[in-house]
Amino acid sequence: MQKSRTKLVPIALALGVALTLGACASATPVGTSGDSITIYSGRNETLISELLDTFTRETGIKTEVRYGDSAELAAQILEEGANIRADVYFGQDAGALGALALAGVTKTLPSDITDLVATEFKSTTSQWVGVSGRSRMIVVDPAKVNVLPTSYKDLMDPSWKGRIGIAPNNASFQAFVTAIRVLEGEQAAIDFLTAMKQNAVLFEKNSIILQAVEDGVVDAGLINHYYWFELAAQVGTENMKSEIAWFEDGDIGNLINVAGVAVVSDNPNAMVFAKWLLGDTAQQYFVERTREYSLTGVPEVQGLKPLRDIKAPKMDLSDLESLAETLELIRRAGLL
Amino acid sequence: MLVAISAVLISLIPLGYLFIRVGTSGFQRFLEIVLTPRTTELVINSLLLALAVSLSAMVIGTIQAWIAVRSNIPGRKVFAVLAALPLAIPSYVAAYSWVAVIPGFSGFFAAWILLTVGTAPLVYLAVSAALARFDSSTEEVASSLGAGKFAVLAKVTWPNIRGAAVSGGLLSALYVLSDFGAVSIVRYDTFTRAIYNAYRASFDRNLAASLALVLVAVTVLVLVVESRSRGKLAVGTVIANRLNRIDLRGWKWPLVALLVGFATVGLLIPLASLTRWSITGIPVTDWDQVLTALYNSVILAVSGGMLTALFAVGIAVVVVRFRSRFASILERSVWLTHATPGIVVALSLTFFSNQIAPWIYQSFAIVLIAYLALFLPNALSAISTPLRQSPIALDEVAASLGLTKLQTLRKVVLPIAGPGIFAATTLVILTVLKELPATLLLRPTGVDTLATRLWTETGVAAFSTAAPYALLLVVLAGIPAWLLNRAIRKDLEPIGDLERG
Repeated sequence: MQKSRTKLVPIALALGVALTLGACASATPVGTSGDSITIYSGRNETLISELLDTFTRETGIKTEVRYGDSAELAAQILEEGANIRADVYFGQDAGALGALALAGVTKTLPSDITDLVATEFKSTTSQWVGVSGRSRMIVVDPAKVNVLPTSYKDLMDPSWKGRIGIAPNNASFQAFVTAIRVLEGEQAAIDFLTAMKQNAVLFEKNSIILQAVEDGVVDAGLINHYYWFELAAQVGTENMKSEIAWFEDGDIGNLINVAGVAVVSDNPNAMVFAKWLLGDTAQQYFVERTREYSLTGVPEVQGLKPLRDIKAPKMDLSDLESLAETLELIRRAGLL
Repeated sequence: MLVAISAVLISLIPLGYLFIRVGTSGFQRFLEIVLTPRTTELVINSLLLALAVSLSAMVIGTIQAWIAVRSNIPGRKVFAVLAALPLAIPSYVAAYSWVAVIPGFSGFFAAWILLTVGTAPLVYLAVSAALARFDSSTEEVASSLGAGKFAVLAKVTWPNIRGAAVSGGLLSALYVLSDFGAVSIVRYDTFTRAIYNAYRASFDRNLAASLALVLVAVTVLVLVVESRSRGKLAVGTVIANRLNRIDLRGWKWPLVALLVGFATVGLLIPLASLTRWSITGIPVTDWDQVLTALYNSVILAVSGGMLTALFAVGIAVVVVRFRSRFASILERSVWLTHATPGIVVALSLTFFSNQIAPWIYQSFAIVLIAYLALFLPNALSAISTPLRQSPIALDEVAASLGLTKLQTLRKVVLPIAGPGIFAATTLVILTVLKELPATLLLRPTGVDTLATRLWTETGVAAFSTAAPYALLLVVLAGIPAWLLNRAIRKDLEPIGDLERG
């Protein structure tokens, strides 16, 4: 039943396509051959295109890059079925990487790649590996926040009403709520979200929250660390009104998430690329240019709390793929 | 006929894909997903917004059209251009700029305002075209028989433009159902937003497909309502040659104020924000990149517009000329997938092209096919009306003079439909310029358009580096918007001086 339907539609479609596009189809089969790889990147072009140029210069391997939304590109790889065009998937967060691994399209990474990264920043079955880290934290206006909150839970206090900015649409905020759900249970997540409905001012994304703290619209905001350093690089650190702070050791507000790669073809250059991303050149780039954390021990950019000093919660990042339930909670709390 | 059938098949690709996806996960799971309070809530939210937006767009668009075509208010030509221009602003750009001006701009009313502003031009254009073809002598007959001004408006003018207003309203409603940009930025929960979230949050293609299939069902509902409320179409009316303007007297200034208000809301707010962002953004712009993106946008939009119009002509000719049950089923089926979000269309083409024609995947050709699947109804609605108005009698005369059906088509029908074809092409060009999700997924590797660059730049940080792209996109899309408007008013201006009380 299923089979025959699948066959019929394509035939009808083929007819239509052949009839209409006979001449104008300028086929460009991407099939990667020779010394080149095709990368599907959920990471933004402005952040990593320079890094990829360096990769080509150092290894002689050319890159064909398709940029898109992390999750949409993952879906696209799955829809390509038997003809996956990508050699490497470069994702924004652990959730999308986990989804590809779950669908069985990723290749197992050899230990000379996975050994470079600590256990908490890679797939437990070696299907993907994190290449750079980002920390959740709080950005505050020191003129208005005298006592720093020690836990994300402090923000649930009525004294924070109208003073804290969050971005419920944002994937990293959702990952943070997922962590609460997984580590402290659904009720804890519901309580937090309910309190946020009362206290928080909602923004579209992290960069806008930061700007709002700078402009004095809100007193504090929950964001990823690198936004602060990016803005500081643009306007000068001395001109920053806001400061960054972490919660007490082990608090979920300090969650560390990763951007990472999975290999989805047998092209040997894909493994070369994955390994190269964990080499010094690339790790240095993540530290200096995207102001993220190196996962192989390259020292942090100045002013950033070292990764080993952040006592992040113990969290298996593969669990972050259970986002659907989180979204349901965020929506029910009226924040989406 | 073959053209028509292949066009319809292409537009049904997304539907085929949805059935296969839902088939894979099983009917049981489909029911589990669909029969939840959540689905009901989404249906209500989506329908409510589609209804509210299409009604307000119909009211505003019709008022604008009537004033611009039939009244004698000062500056009506300027207002005519202003009424069409919001069409050039992508809904996500408009939403960003509103949120920047009014922090906390969100929810139902925000979505309502944004989408009304964005889609009222669709109604305005359709109604203007109908009014421009309308013969006002019927109005004079009515007044000479003692009917008051409002009675004339309600009983003579309205029935003649009702079809156009309702079909503009349909485009508006389906646009609302498929929109993601605006509703996500102002955080209003519709079906399309839930579909995107199904990909983004749960990475679940089958869940997304189930939701999308329900959206198709909602579309069917909207289509039924539309065909009921369209009224009888004026078939075979001779194109008007007489049109007078109505002196508004005391109503003049309130109406001017109203039009200025529409223009401010629809254009001034987005343009002010864009300009403000551009001031910081332009100095750091990479102009080589801008020009390449501009070139790609123009090539894709123009070829997409022409291809889609060509196929729409094929369908319209079959429907209008060879009136048959089959033909009208053909036409209606094109609309089924019109509310399907771009991401679903893109993934369906990813799936099918890899199954049957891998060489076409990620080429310009597949992008054009996506545009065809997405925008065929827009083109069709612009073409059908003028084609319907070319009287059948002319065909019969042509036939009696010994012309074959094909010759009649070429020598009689197409010349009359010319303006409609032009309008269809321009409308699709305009829409393609703004299209993002399908272009992003299906484009050849490394090819950037203004819309994809805009997406890239907004992905990182502030809106300022993106502003030059947004501004250029709006200006570029403004050209077809302006041309569309001018084409409609071309028949109009020579008789514009016939002002009466």
